Amino acid sequence: MKRLWKWTAGILGVLFVAAFAMLSYVAGSPKDAYGMVRYALPHMHRGTLKVGSDAPDARIVALDGVSRFHIRERTGDRPLVLVFGSFT
Amino acid sequence: MYVREAHPTDEWQMKSNLKDKDDVCYAQPKTLEQRVIIANDFIKRFKFPLPFGIDDMGNAADNAYSAWPERIYIIDEGGHIAYRGGMGPFNYKPEEAREWLAARYGAVKHEPPKSTPDVTPASTSGAVAPTPGAPSTPAPAAPAK
Repeated sequence: MKRLWKWTAGILGVLFVAAFAMLSYVAGSPKDAYGMVRYALPHMHRGTLKVGSDAPDARIVALDGVSRFHIRERTGDRPLVLVFGSFT
Repeated sequence: MYVREAHPTDEWQMKSNLKDKDDVCYAQPKTLEQRVIIANDFIKRFKFPLPFGIDDMGNAADNAYSAWPERIYIIDEGGHIAYRGGMGPFNYKPEEAREWLAARYGAVKHEPPKSTPDVTPASTSGAVAPTPGAPSTPAPAAPAK
């Protein structure tokens, strides 16, 4: 029984190392693999929106940092293209 | 639409950030004021010509649209999702959205920007509203994901 546990732990360890090595290769480095797991995965959510869904509203801050507007205020007359992103 | 940073200095900063000739290195904003500063820096550096908006610190837009780190949507005149782009960076495909718009509304005519966008609420929608050029063009068959 003890031997079985050792083999199981060994195999799981090898699989973990192999998975991390593969992720490091894909991400670019072990540091990036860690960053992906630590910071990206918790925020990667596909959401439930689908084509045909009502477009959700949200209150948005203008560039002056003071004014606010709603996404819904900009819809109606024409199609609206929303491009989300950050600087870094 | 500016949402939370993808590769800030205090989180997952990538080598490419350090090599960037434009030296784009920011910590993750902890306040709205910091987000506003970064967004305005982006506008100035790239002379970004389009209407622009900033997600609030509650990440309302990000949460509603699963926007992080980058993504494109098109909302039709009825207020429905007409196109849903994939999650960036690997599935962020502006050309796909452009093709979708051209197929549905006709080719988009781009005019050179005259100035940076206003900061008034009336013009900072965080979005581009293309003018339909050929409304009779049938919509493409669900190119969105």
